[in-house]
Amino acid sequence: MKKRSSLHRKNLHKIFYPDSVAIVGANKVKGTVPYDILMSIVHANFNGVVFPVSPGERFIAGIRTYKYVIDIQEDVDLAILVFPSAVCHLALEQCGKKGIKSVIIISAGFREIGEKGLERERQILSIAEKYDISFIGPNCLGVINTDPKSHLNASFARKMPEEGPIGFLSQSGALCTAVLDYARAKHIGFSKFISFGNKADISEIDLLFYLMEDEKTKVILLYLEEVSNGKELLAAAREVIQKSGKPILIIKSGRTEEGAAAAASHTGSLAGSDEICDAAFEQAGIIRCDNIVDMFNRAIAFAYQPAPKGDKVAIITNAGGPGVLTTDAAIKTGLRLAKFSDETAKYLKQHLPSTSNRNNPIDVIGDARTDRYNAAMTATFKDNDVNAVFVILTPQSMTDIDLIAREVAKVSSHYDKPVYASFMGEADVQEGIEVLQRNGIPHYQLPESMADALSCVVNFNKRLELPASEPGATSDINNESVHRILNKATGNNQRLIAENQAYSILKTYGFPTLPVRVVSSEEKVKPAANEIGYPQVMKIVSDDIAHKTEVGGIVLNIQNEDEAVEAYGSIVRNVKEKSPESGIQGIMIAPMIKDGVEVILGMKRDPSFGPVLMFGIGGIHVEIYKDVSFRVAPVSKEDAMSMIEAIRGYPLLGEFRGKKARDVQLLQSCIVRLGQLATECEQIRELDINPLILLDKGCYVADAKIMV
Amino acid sequence: MEKQELTQRVKKVVGEVLKIPASEIGDDANFIFDLGANSMQSVLLVGAFEEEFDIEMDEDGALEVQNIADAVDFINGYL
Repeated sequence: MKKRSSLHRKNLHKIFYPDSVAIVGANKVKGTVPYDILMSIVHANFNGVVFPVSPGERFIAGIRTYKYVIDIQEDVDLAILVFPSAVCHLALEQCGKKGIKSVIIISAGFREIGEKGLERERQILSIAEKYDISFIGPNCLGVINTDPKSHLNASFARKMPEEGPIGFLSQSGALCTAVLDYARAKHIGFSKFISFGNKADISEIDLLFYLMEDEKTKVILLYLEEVSNGKELLAAAREVIQKSGKPILIIKSGRTEEGAAAAASHTGSLAGSDEICDAAFEQAGIIRCDNIVDMFNRAIAFAYQPAPKGDKVAIITNAGGPGVLTTDAAIKTGLRLAKFSDETAKYLKQHLPSTSNRNNPIDVIGDARTDRYNAAMTATFKDNDVNAVFVILTPQSMTDIDLIAREVAKVSSHYDKPVYASFMGEADVQEGIEVLQRNGIPHYQLPESMADALSCVVNFNKRLELPASEPGATSDINNESVHRILNKATGNNQRLIAENQAYSILKTYGFPTLPVRVVSSEEKVKPAANEIGYPQVMKIVSDDIAHKTEVGGIVLNIQNEDEAVEAYGSIVRNVKEKSPESGIQGIMIAPMIKDGVEVILGMKRDPSFGPVLMFGIGGIHVEIYKDVSFRVAPVSKEDAMSMIEAIRGYPLLGEFRGKKARDVQLLQSCIVRLGQLATECEQIRELDINPLILLDKGCYVADAKIMV
Repeated sequence: MEKQELTQRVKKVVGEVLKIPASEIGDDANFIFDLGANSMQSVLLVGAFEEEFDIEMDEDGALEVQNIADAVDFINGYL
């Protein structure tokens, strides 16, 4: 796999910068994919040579055509295959013999049609491996490189997009054409535009690394329908972001909940695939977007303006209402309003009418023309407390919409601070918006989107400045006994590890556990109960029972030995009545910790991301409040802290209602160790520690469930 | 019983179990996030409500009640 990745890095350059391209399967029928791709290349003024390959034609559109790719005398850097899928392997074999290393397979009819197509995909992959070929596709739209050095439109998109700093990767070909159309209307330009289809060979991960090194790309956008190797994607994204500082914005479609319903643990039930995806992307620094509009709103902020040096914004508006809306949106998204200096205040007083508002947000009043916008922008750009400027306009009868737009572009070009604009309305402001977009000023229909975009840039840059944390910094743990328990359980097809063994596993990994006794007959209850002390709790121990409360398998707050005997009898009776098929290994007696905050720590193994950790407010209410956060294991201390801070109930862990702050530092290290346990013991399928009782000094595992 | 009186009695019970002055408990106070209740205290609260109002509540339903206002409505259903 690594070998293929390094090969792709070498061969990808020729996919984007070929000196010569063969269109294998070309024809002269207008409106068909083979013909349109040939014409796309020709009309885009490709900086190289094109060889149509078509057994039945001598010329297509006046270009000499070859019967087979091996008939071409010259070297061919890139082959684009538009053959029917059933014979694609023959064309690829010929490419191999010709020595072509870079291929795009446009043809559909592979894994997306089922088993037969999957077999074809395996066949072409094996040919590619035989000849050291790297290919994009199959089942894709193709690729576009707007760099004038190449100017390649190897796709059947209608038109070449404008050149720009955005690299776009998409698993869906049809979405690509819609995106190109959307972007063209807004003058959004692309560096590279890639539809990678079934990603049978070159994947989004290879392409992320390519765009990391591509000097024409400043921002990377990715549309994904499935995350087939989440761990690898996260590692790649982390590396790309850290090494290049380029943001990665992703739309991952399919926000569904399947799989969660069948879960046996709280973690399994609360950790839906989408929540895991959200947490994993956040952990890697990837910006997840809900839709194409949000994605481009954020992308243009990154792509077309300098990075802000802080989170303080100046708002300039010619209407009070939109100024308030923008202020609200800015504060809500975590931005701050800049406080103007005396010099700025003086300048604004000199240049704006007395009826205007010269504080932030600056209201230049409805009859404002370019001079007032100029004054407000000049003053705010110069002010040291201002990191970014929002310009808002509503179209009054006297508003010089396009002149103001030009003024925004002109004034902002003199300063190294970002400016974003919102010309509110639709028809009247269109001309001004066009001016802004042509001049690289990000425009937003709504002030809320403008605030969201700046906030996104600010947060991304803040994160870049943090020192990189080491995920999975672990201590050496002798876990032989743990593996013995887990292997025995899996060998016996046991689903649930008995609670006393779960305690033992957690103890090995450094979790503070309570002293417990397990009794299996009534006469042993009194001595064991007296040894543990009061108050105490009693719980059923059974390999078959996951939810003890539901079968009456727990008694709390036992105060003396008589109550202990009574509790023993009641648990045995309850379990026999409510779950007669379940075996009873004994009854566990443990001290009851009264004065602690109950939290839950959990783990679930995700098919794509591997072990995922959960933290939240625990106890019996965990599924009512659903106040939980997730991270992919292993986790660093910083990741653990961000999980703790992410929940709504975080204030309960600080000084609360006269109680001392809880031992968050210990909690942090418990989360890190849980990540280590999850990573080192692959037999564990799901795990719940609920509750972990957190005290001001120390914590205790009060209940644990491990499923294999 | 008037809703206001019911609310005051619910707050009194909550205050006693959670050891918080009833006057400091808001009408919408959340048992966990505002008052810091844990599982044990939640179970005790259900018992204390039953005793105070001389009712027998569905325990699962009672444990799903999240704040004072909802508790008032839930208990009112038994009166």
